[in-house]
Amino acid sequence: MDILSGPLHGPIGPGRNDRVGRVRLVWQLVVNGIITGSMCALVGIGFGLIYSVGRFFHFAHGMVFTLGAYFVYLFSSLFSLSIQFSIILAIIFAPFVGCLIEIVVYRPLRGKGAGSLVILIASLGIYVVLQNTISIVFGDSTKSIRAGAVHEGIVFCGAHITTPQMAMVLICVLSVAMLTGILHKTRIGHLMRAAGSDPGLAAALGIDINRVILYAIVIASLLGSAAGILTAVDVDITPSMGLQPLMLGVIAAIVGGIGSIPGIGLGGMLLGIAYHLGVWKISSQWQDAIAFTILLVFLLIRPRGFLGRRINGAIL
Amino acid sequence: MEYLIHICVLICIYVILAISLDLITGYTGMLSIAHAAFYGVGAYIAAIMSLNLHSPFIVNIGCAATLSGLLGLLVGIPSLRIRDDYFVVATFAFQVIILSILNNWMSLTGGSMGLSGIPQPQILGFRISSHLHFLVLACLFCILILWISLRIAHSPFGRVLKAIREDEIFAQAAGKNVAAFKILVFVIGAGMASIAGVIYAYYIGFIDPTSFSVMESIFIISIVIIGGAGSLWGSVVAATVLVVLPELLRFIGLPGAMAANIRQIIYGSLLVAFMLWRPRGFLGNYGFHR
Repeated sequence: MDILSGPLHGPIGPGRNDRVGRVRLVWQLVVNGIITGSMCALVGIGFGLIYSVGRFFHFAHGMVFTLGAYFVYLFSSLFSLSIQFSIILAIIFAPFVGCLIEIVVYRPLRGKGAGSLVILIASLGIYVVLQNTISIVFGDSTKSIRAGAVHEGIVFCGAHITTPQMAMVLICVLSVAMLTGILHKTRIGHLMRAAGSDPGLAAALGIDINRVILYAIVIASLLGSAAGILTAVDVDITPSMGLQPLMLGVIAAIVGGIGSIPGIGLGGMLLGIAYHLGVWKISSQWQDAIAFTILLVFLLIRPRGFLGRRINGAIL
Repeated sequence: MEYLIHICVLICIYVILAISLDLITGYTGMLSIAHAAFYGVGAYIAAIMSLNLHSPFIVNIGCAATLSGLLGLLVGIPSLRIRDDYFVVATFAFQVIILSILNNWMSLTGGSMGLSGIPQPQILGFRISSHLHFLVLACLFCILILWISLRIAHSPFGRVLKAIREDEIFAQAAGKNVAAFKILVFVIGAGMASIAGVIYAYYIGFIDPTSFSVMESIFIISIVIIGGAGSLWGSVVAATVLVVLPELLRFIGLPGAMAANIRQIIYGSLLVAFMLWRPRGFLGNYGFHR
């Protein structure tokens, strides 16, 4: 089910009762948790950014993740371009689809004064259409981009980690830092925060709300497709591969506080670690149930998340 | 002929599902992605009880409706604290958790293998064995539930539900116990959906978790929205159209695997198109405005 954790690489120790083996197991699970956490944080940050700026839930965001992966597959395997070049092309094309969704569907809906629920339903529809289109074009079967067998990866402080996984963690940390900087220090960031905190006032001051939301979608889609591409290079791809990161990303965004970028990053990490440490005590099949139980607890007790402020204020 | 009857039974099942969701989503304005979960719980309870306890049909359907209703109470509780988008996510969480239980509680639900060999039901000594018998049974339940729902919709109770949908604070100010109404409509809707599940389990004789997935929930939502939120007859019409439409694709000669995808593409794009041009659906009176 979970694509990034996979089976534990390498020997863990003579037995689970062995203390050294147990410490190594827990450490490997924590590292796996950080990797999964980075993936859901990357998706969740985009989801949260779009909600903060445009006040709607963009469920089709999960498809940008899948599309990033499939564009790499398309260019590298079918057009036989080099993998590096394919990744560059994919990171251009996947956000393009995100923008297309915004321009063709969300923008007209906002123009008609549609509520957030209408946009949410439309985004569910888009998700269903895109996923099934990919199924028809590429087939339902699992595809693989990486050449050769699954590699163990390098050993980092006693835990195995592959290069794409390391890139995922790095990109996640970098994008949390950069996005926080952009939102508070640059003009585009100020525009996005203005549009998010009071769209009416922002429009009255001459800010083009539609364009600002488009910026947010571009940034979000870049991060989402980057996560998808790294997953695709690391493991296999399927048409439904975007659902899991989307769900975890939404949970990370809500648990961390949907308006707070560092909060979502932190939420993603904690969620990822909880997701994998669950394997240690409970069986791995219950990972999704654990993640969604955490979500329900937060929704009931603290719906704004641990770093978020007002839930409808969308303050970044 | 068998094939036509099969389609009609499916239509009856989806009419029940759509009507029950329409009470929750169309009348009360709470969009829920957990409906396939109630449907699945009904099917599984009927299957488990008839396989392990050999209990009669009537008892099973009563138990399924009661337990599913209790589950509906649980799912309804978050609606008291969160609303709109966030409530949708909460129901989504319930859907995933319940599906995860169906998938992983091996000893009770058979996991992803599902449960097979569900015996044919017996009602007052009469054995429901052929497709035609099932059609009569499904139709009876469908009409019964449609009748109950119409009664609910046109009663003072139904008017309070609409008031909650239009303006919750106003309904509260008018002295209505909004919390109780919201929870109660969830209990009723969940109970009705489980009856569709019971009929499905007995009819097919085999159930597995894939029939009750998130996609199934979105399909039921599509029926309600395309038919028109807040219109029970709209749900009936849309359920018929959306069940029959993909079957027509078979006659064009599409390969089976692709037909499933095209079916989902059809209702996905219908969902987007209706949101863009007619959010209130064919016959509805509620366009998710707020």
